[in-house]
Amino acid sequence: MEPLDDRELDGMLREWNVPGAPSGLRAAVFGTPRPWWSRFWTLSIRVPLPVACALVLVLAAVAFAAWRRPAPAVLKPAPAQVIVETRTVEVPVVKERVVYRDRRQPSTAWKPVAELRPRIIRSGQHEN
Amino acid sequence: MTPEQAFDQYHQAVFRFLYRLTRRADSAEDLAQETFLAFLRTPERFDGARGSVRTYLFAIARNLALKEYRDVRGEEPLEGTEPLAAPAARLETGVAVAEAVSALVPLQREALILFEYEGLSLEEIAAVVAADVGTVKSRLHRAREALKRTLAPYRKGGRVHGTVG
Repeated sequence: MEPLDDRELDGMLREWNVPGAPSGLRAAVFGTPRPWWSRFWTLSIRVPLPVACALVLVLAAVAFAAWRRPAPAVLKPAPAQVIVETRTVEVPVVKERVVYRDRRQPSTAWKPVAELRPRIIRSGQHEN
Repeated sequence: MTPEQAFDQYHQAVFRFLYRLTRRADSAEDLAQETFLAFLRTPERFDGARGSVRTYLFAIARNLALKEYRDVRGEEPLEGTEPLAAPAARLETGVAVAEAVSALVPLQREALILFEYEGLSLEEIAAVVAADVGTVKSRLHRAREALKRTLAPYRKGGRVHGTVG
């Protein structure tokens, strides 16, 4: 049998019709639409990897800086001004006087004492 | 183009292509769903410099269908010189065409469907099937020649070979 020519084949090919896509295909791909408040809890944001890495580094640097921050300096009161004042103060001084009685004795009666007993006479005390 | 826009614009064409490839509505629906889910998950993989969204979607669909074909048919050749089978009995023309196209080897079948039914150019088909234009043209030619022979019994009106008189 003689084969079809191009025109006959083209005409015959057009007789093959196929059904359309089912209506549920969109829901199968994208899911059933949900209210916005329900979608909020599952919302996700796509972040490029370099941006995510940069954010992580920034957060880590901030956390590290906060951890290492020194304690705030305590304000010390200004040192009191030292005023040097010189005053002369009279302090009563106990004067002690040592009195030596010189009881001259004749030379013949002079004899070295066997024991020397000094007496301290304070001011205001007299003894004859 | 967002995935939603791509779906609205091309889901019918993708489904028709997959239906003609697989001859099964359930397979075509599953594969169409996988096609758009693949596009939805990784839209950044689409490179506008390499082709349009339409050819990108057809390429995904084609690869998924080919994978399913290999899973079912194993190591049957994808390309050859003769159809695997021919319409056995007298059928309605549309059904006969469907049977004849299904009988083509897979690589010829996909080229014919994309060219004849989806209106893709040879360059677009080459982008979809990852082959050069010359290879696509050769596959298309062999597919048409095979169909001309297979569908000759269904010629309308009949034609007698030779001269009368």
